[in-house]
Parts: sequence; structure tokens; C-alpha cells
Amino acid sequence: MDVVATKLYRWERRPLRHLDPVLLISVLALGIVGLITIYSATHASLVAQRIDPGFFLKKQLAFVTLGIVVILVTASFDYRFVKVYAGIVYVASLALLVLVRTPLGTTIRGSQRWFQLFGFQLAPSELAKLALVAMLAAFLSQLRSSDLSLQDLYRATAIAAVPGLLVFLQPDLGTSIVLLAILVGILVVAGARARHLGVLALTAIVLIFGALQLGLVKDYQIARLTAFFDPQNDPQRSDYNRTQAEIAIGSGGLLGRGYLKGTQTNLDFVPEQHTDFIFTVIGEEFGFVGAIFVLMLFALLIWRAVRIALLAKDPFGTYLAAGIASMLAIQVFVNVGMTLGIMPITGIPLPFVSYGGSSFLTNCAAVGLLLNIHMRRLT
Amino acid sequence: MTEGRTGLRLKVFAALVAFMFAALTTRLWFLQVLAADQFRDIAKQNAVRLIDIPAQRGRILDDKGSLLVTNRVSLVVTVNKQEAGSHLEDELYRLSKLLGVPAKELAARVEDPRYYVYQPVPIEANVGKRIDFYINEHQSTFPGVEVVAEPVRVYPEGSLAAHVLGYLGQISPEQLKDPAFADYRPGDEVGVTGVEAQYERFLRGTEGVVKYRVNSAGQNLGQIGEQQPVPGQDVVLTIDTEAQKIAEESLNLGLQYAHGIYDSGTGRDLSANGGAVVVMDPATGAIKALASAPSFDPSLFVRSMSSGEYERRFGAAKGYPLLDRAIQGLYPPGSTYKPFVLLSALRRGIVSTTDYYPCPPSWAVPEDPLHEVFHNWTTANLGSMTLAQALYDSCDTVFYPIGYEYWRRYYPPTDPPIEQIQRDLQAFGFGRPTDVDLPFEQEGRVPDAAWKSVVHKRYPKSFPDGRWFPGDFINMSIGQGDTLVTPLQLAAAYSAIQNGGRACVPHVFARAQEADSHVLHSWHARCRRIPFLQAQVEYVRQALTQTPVQGTAASAFIGFPFSQVQVAGKTGTAQVFGQQDYSWFAAMTQAQGKQYVVVALVEQGGHGSTTAAPIVRRVIEGLYGLTNTQFTAGGVTD
Repeated sequence: MDVVATKLYRWERRPLRHLDPVLLISVLALGIVGLITIYSATHASLVAQRIDPGFFLKKQLAFVTLGIVVILVTASFDYRFVKVYAGIVYVASLALLVLVRTPLGTTIRGSQRWFQLFGFQLAPSELAKLALVAMLAAFLSQLRSSDLSLQDLYRATAIAAVPGLLVFLQPDLGTSIVLLAILVGILVVAGARARHLGVLALTAIVLIFGALQLGLVKDYQIARLTAFFDPQNDPQRSDYNRTQAEIAIGSGGLLGRGYLKGTQTNLDFVPEQHTDFIFTVIGEEFGFVGAIFVLMLFALLIWRAVRIALLAKDPFGTYLAAGIASMLAIQVFVNVGMTLGIMPITGIPLPFVSYGGSSFLTNCAAVGLLLNIHMRRLT
Repeated sequence: MTEGRTGLRLKVFAALVAFMFAALTTRLWFLQVLAADQFRDIAKQNAVRLIDIPAQRGRILDDKGSLLVTNRVSLVVTVNKQEAGSHLEDELYRLSKLLGVPAKELAARVEDPRYYVYQPVPIEANVGKRIDFYINEHQSTFPGVEVVAEPVRVYPEGSLAAHVLGYLGQISPEQLKDPAFADYRPGDEVGVTGVEAQYERFLRGTEGVVKYRVNSAGQNLGQIGEQQPVPGQDVVLTIDTEAQKIAEESLNLGLQYAHGIYDSGTGRDLSANGGAVVVMDPATGAIKALASAPSFDPSLFVRSMSSGEYERRFGAAKGYPLLDRAIQGLYPPGSTYKPFVLLSALRRGIVSTTDYYPCPPSWAVPEDPLHEVFHNWTTANLGSMTLAQALYDSCDTVFYPIGYEYWRRYYPPTDPPIEQIQRDLQAFGFGRPTDVDLPFEQEGRVPDAAWKSVVHKRYPKSFPDGRWFPGDFINMSIGQGDTLVTPLQLAAAYSAIQNGGRACVPHVFARAQEADSHVLHSWHARCRRIPFLQAQVEYVRQALTQTPVQGTAASAFIGFPFSQVQVAGKTGTAQVFGQQDYSWFAAMTQAQGKQYVVVALVEQGGHGSTTAAPIVRRVIEGLYGLTNTQFTAGGVTD
């Protein structure tokens, strides 16, 4: 092999050459959709309050910029370091979840899940998602056997159960669901038997019933869930949210009512519209076509994640990518499903689109890791 | 582990994700493509509010266009009992201090039965800005209390013509069921009495509506359409404010004057507890003044009232001031009936204008085994007289034989019965409504044999004998017995005499017009000929001109300038069982191209010449601008 050929070969194998452009473009596109819809969701009420109508837009633009930096950082170092430090990151995330329950944490709307830091709200539960993905991937990838024993399955479940319970107690039902989905997703890919997964599901059902019986679930959570199953019977506002969200999306029709022209959006009928209910803006103003376009961007994103899991050169990479795919997919499904009235109302933001730093940056870190795995599949 | 197995597992994973996306897409398709139209409608309703704009109610004007009723925006304090809940008592206590009305009184006003439980009750009107600010600043301590700016009725002339004008009130549940009130809603105001009720259809106007865009908090984001309300039409009356003032003043002066007169019959001063004055234009039926005493202040009806206050203001102790005695009071007409009885007798050939008739102190029914005796109003024997003198001297004993003649023609009863006098009196409008354009008019009574037997069966205690006797005709001939008239009926009948036998339906409505005086509706005179010879009608009218000159009203008209104003009239002294005599005077005037019929009645006012005649004299002097003689004392003649 001559020098030039060797140099060419090395250049060929350089990680930067193997960025996944489709993944990057889909994430960037979703971020831009987020900026556009956040402005639509907030400008009218900001004007009414005599505040700069671009207030939220500008803040989100800062998060997007920061997110790109996060992607670059998390893509730059070799993802295999994550396997080394997964334990530390996991324990640290648990520590933060405990710490947020102390007076250091801030309670917002009856739920203690944020740290107030330099004017930003940081949610440790966001970090916990990624930490769990890493921890499970690390744990499962070091197992010798190719099939999962029931014992391993219980261990993996225990790893997920600790942050899951801490988050559930905050209370944050949505993130608990995400953590559960991450566990199930990785277990499926790691080769858990269907029979074992069935046992796991049964155990989960028993535990949920126990939690309800012991009164660990807050009233408002029960109210939201019962409102979901029986909307006529709910005196709470959650039913209002659901109804208004459906009206917003339904009134969008095939082509939408036009940008900044949705009455449900501009007249403030849908609550939390720039965060959890951002999809209603897309549905109302861009219609069925716009909503499908956004769902396709997510499908593209998740497809790339699954593809990366397949291409990864080691099981750790595969499980890491699968966990991330799981994490993104469940967030999209629960969030969009909630706005469409087919899922209960839980406080899960729409990845890359909803306003908010913690969620956006966590998801960027996840995408950075995906790129990382993809880039280093050959080295 | 092998690549292949991981690939398979990833495919299972991908299938799960694909299933989720399929579920979302299906649901989106349903919401946005299949059900989109429904949702778009709901979204539209969500963002639009309709607000009614009440129409300004029409004003009420007098015949010269000066205001009798208009509108003003007033601050009204309302209490919603349901919203106040258990705080009501505390709240009323605080309101009591604020408004300076006793808490007990406010508590009773809140219970006003005219309002539903869920409706805000207007407990005080015309409050100051200060109270408005205070209640709004302390809204948390006043749950269910509101200060609202509402148009209320204003009466520039105070209580003047209160009975004619009437007042507004909440629409009743019965009215809401009536198709005539189809476009009304509970809580709407509607005319309850008087012109307000009679001409509701002109006065009310049509509500408008404004469409606003609103956000989820209900904040108004601007108008997107409107339909302007159509204001109510102004109603112009025939009432002449000056004439009305003179009528009311004279009536009240007359009542006061009578309170100082000793009544030998009962040994007490006259009670004179109420009365009425009617001033009419006989040629058209236009009512120039319609007074009823005691009266009331119509502006009281802009707020709620406790039943105690209602009783205190409008109950028996105050003489039922809401009763419009001019059209709802029923009285025996006494001698004021005689001109009509005489016209009947002339028509039926019972008497003749060329003959003379004796006027003894008493008269007995011929061939009556009981020898029932009927007396004249005076014990003097006035000798032989013409029918004209029998009218202006009001000789009862001339009329008794006339009544008896009707009995002779009636008895024995035929089928149908011969009841000539009843038919003739009905032709003058007695015993039936005058059809005046005011609500709740009484129709009076012209008794006959059939009526008597029916009421006897229905009310055997009040009417112990159901048979028809000669005395029924004889009493009728002098306006006594079971005969009842309203002051307006009598005025309408005298108008027919003054008008040469042409009777017009009395009315207070002149026209309805828009604010710019563009006339939309006018009164169409409704007149009819009565079946009496014009010469005989004129004979009676001529005879009556002597009443104030040399007849029973002469003492009340001493010093009156008859050369300037011709006055014809008739006194009446009606006997009511268990009460002092009721005083009547009916007059017809003609001068300066203007003619009037003026009727006055005073309950327990003594003889016709005592109280009613001086009242009528003062009214006539006012109408023609004659030098006012204060209040002329009358006599004690019939």
C-alpha cells in the first residue's frame, strides 16, 4: 500500500466523513418547525401583554443554537467512553432526582421537578432518560449470552425502576412512561423473550394497581386519566384541554387555516400551546398535510436511529441507538396522541418542536450520540 | 449474538413504532378530513360572542310635544341571591350602611316575588358613582352584587298623569307563554299598565346585536359585525299637560276642601277619600286630562319593593292609589244619569217637551199594596215644571213615574223582554267598555231582569232577591239601584250630547312617531251616531245650560262669566250603602272655538254641588284661562 493510498484510506475512515446528513437535516427541520409554530402560538398573547412578540422565538433560537453545539460535542468524542462512564452518569442522575425533591428543587404547578439555575429551569428527569439509555446499553452489552435470562431481565428492570419511581413521585407521569418505553425498547432489541416481557407487563400492572391503592398517584393524575377514559365525567380542566386541542386540530382540515390564522391558537383557547400542545398549532394552521409532514420528519428521524442501531459495530452502540429511538418514538407518540385525544394528558413535550431548553438539549445530545455511533461504525 | 438476530429484533422494534405512527395518522385523518367541518363550526362559535344591544324605549309626549316619560341611564345595584348564597345576610348589612336603607328593608326587597331566584334583583336605583366605585373595589366582599348602568324611565313631570302613563315591570311567566310576547325573554321589561302597556308594541323597538371576537378568557378582541337596534317609537298623547295639571290640582283642592265640610247625614266631616276628573274633547273623543286621586309616583317602579313597602305605598291605608278611578272605579251615577233617562223617555214617547209635570216632595207607586214611597232630594214642593226644569232642578219625583212607565211596558215579562230604557242607555255606551285605549277598563252595569236572576243565583248573600221589581226601573230612572258607571263612561255619554248625537270612542293616543317626528301611526277617530232625534238631544243640552245659572249648581257657579264661556251641566249625588254620598258633576262647555266635557267624581264628597261642581268650575276656568277664583264653595243641592 503506497502512502497516498494509505492516506486516502485513513481519510475515508475518518469519522467526520460519515456524518448522517438525513438525520441532521430531519432534526434541523423539526427545530425550524418548532421556531415557526412557537411564534404563532405565543405572539398574540405577548402582544396583548405588551411584550415583544418574538420573546419565546428568540429564546428558542438560542436553545437551537446551543443544541447544535451540544450535537457537535456529543458527536465528537468516541461514544464508547459513554460505556465506561455510564455507571457514574446513571448514579449522578439518580442523585439529582433525589436532590430535586429537597428544597433545592423548585415546584411548578404542584410538581417538584426543576432546578432553578441562572434563570433557567433544569429538569434532572431529562438527563435521567439519557442516563438510563446509557446504563441499560452498558449493562446489556456486557452480558455474554446472546439470549436474555429472566434474571438479567429483572436486573435491567431494576435499573429502570429506580429512576422510574423517583420521577413518578415528583410526580411526572409522562417521563415515567418514557423511561418504561426505553426499557421495553432496549429489551426487545437485546433479545428478551416475548414470554418474559409478558411477565414484566403483568408485574407492571400489579404495581400500578398497588400504587393507585396506596394513594401514591396524585388526584390530578387520576382525574386526567379518568377524563381520558370517560370525558363526560370530568369536572377538571384536563377535559377542556383535550376538547380544545381536538377542536384546534380538527378545524385545521386538510390544508390548514393558514399561518398565524388559527383562531384556536391566536385566541388562546388551547392551553400550554407553545410547550406540550404545540402540535395543535401545526394541526390548525397547516392542516392534515402539515401534520403528516411533521410526522414524516419524525419517522425519518426514528428510521435513521433504527438504521444506526443496525449499523453499529458493537452491541453497546446498537442498544444505545435503540434506546434513543425508543425514547424519541414514545415521546412523539404520547405527545401527538394526547393532542389527538387518543392518549391521556401527560406533560411530555414534542421533541425538537416544543418550546423549552432541557428537553431540546437532551434530545440534541441523543442525536449527537446517534451521529457518533454512525460516524464510528467503521473504526 | 449474530447480526441477523439483531436485525430481526430491530425489525420487530420498527414495526412497533410503525404501528404507533399508523395510529396517529388514522386519528389525524378522522379529525382533519372526516370531521373537519364540525370542528371548524365549533372553533367559530368558540371565538364569536353575540351581545344584545337593547333598543332605547320610545318616549311619551303630551299633545304639544313636551316630555312626559323619557329615559336616563341610571346606576342600579342588583343582588343575585343564588350567587350571594350564605353571604347574603352579611352582604345586605354592608349594603344597608352603604345605601342608607335599613337592612331589613333590603332583605325584604330581595324577596320581591316579581323576580326569579336566579335573577339579579335591582334593590336600589339611581345610586351615586361613589357607591359604584366602592362595590367594584370591594368585589370580593360583595359576591353576587353588581352595579349596572341601566336605562330607566324618567318622569319630568313627577307623578303627573301617572295612571295614564303607567309603569314598567318584569315580564310575567303568563305573558312569556303568550304568542304576542314571542320575542321576549325572562327578565325583559314590559309595560304593566297605562300607555306603557297599551302601546308596548310601538314603545319597545327592536333589539340589536353585536358580534365580537373573543379569546379563551372572553376578552373582547374587536367587533366583526353588528345589527343596529331599532329604537322604540315616541308615543304622542292627546293629554294636555296644562289641562292635566289643572285637573289634578283642582281634584286635590276639592278633596281637601271637602275634608272640612260637615256631613249631617253621618255626623262627620266628609271623608272625600278619592276621586277622578275627566276632560275630553267631545268632537273627537280625545282625552285632554285624566286624573285619579290618590295618585302615585311611577318612578318607584324602577327598583324592587318589599311586599311591606308595596302594601304601605299602594294598600288600603293609602286608598289604593294604583287604581285608576277614572276608568276602573264603578259608581252609581245618581242624577247625572237623568239626561239619558229623559232622552230615552222622549224617544219612547213617555214624556213630551211641551208638557208640564208635577214635582212633589215624594211619590208612591200606584196600586202598590205596600205603599212604597220614593222621595225627592228636597222636602219642598217645587210645583209644576217643564222637563227642562226637571233636569236643571234635578226633580226626582218627575223621573219616578217615568221609571214606573218602563215597568208597565215590561210587565208581564215577554220573550224577549221589553226593556226599552236598558237598550237606550246601552246606546249611550253604558254597561259596556268605552274601548278607551287604556288597559283594564271596567264596563259598568246596566241592570236588567236576566242579570238580576243570574247574580242572585251566583251571589245569594249580596243579592237576596232575584226577582225584577218596579223599584228597579224607578231607581234606574235617577241613576241609583244596581246601576254602575265609570267617570269616563259618563264623560263619553255627555260628549255624545254635546256633539249633537255623535259618540266618539275616547282615546289618549294621538300618534306614534320616530325621534325625528316622522309619524308612523295616527289615531283614526271612531265615532257613531246614537239613535236619538237631534232636536231632543239639543233640548236636553239647552236645558242643562241652566243648571249652573239657576239650577242645582248655581251656588257653585256664582260669579262665573257665562257670557264668555257657556257651561251646561248636571249635578249628581249618588247614594252608596254604608257610606257618605258620592259627589258628581258633569259639564259641557263651548267657547273660543274649543269645547270640552268635564266630569268630576268625589268618593264620599257629599252633594254634587258641594264638591264635584266647584272642582269642575275650577277646571273650566283653567281650560279657558279665566281669572281663577281659588276654590268656590258649592251648595248642598243634589
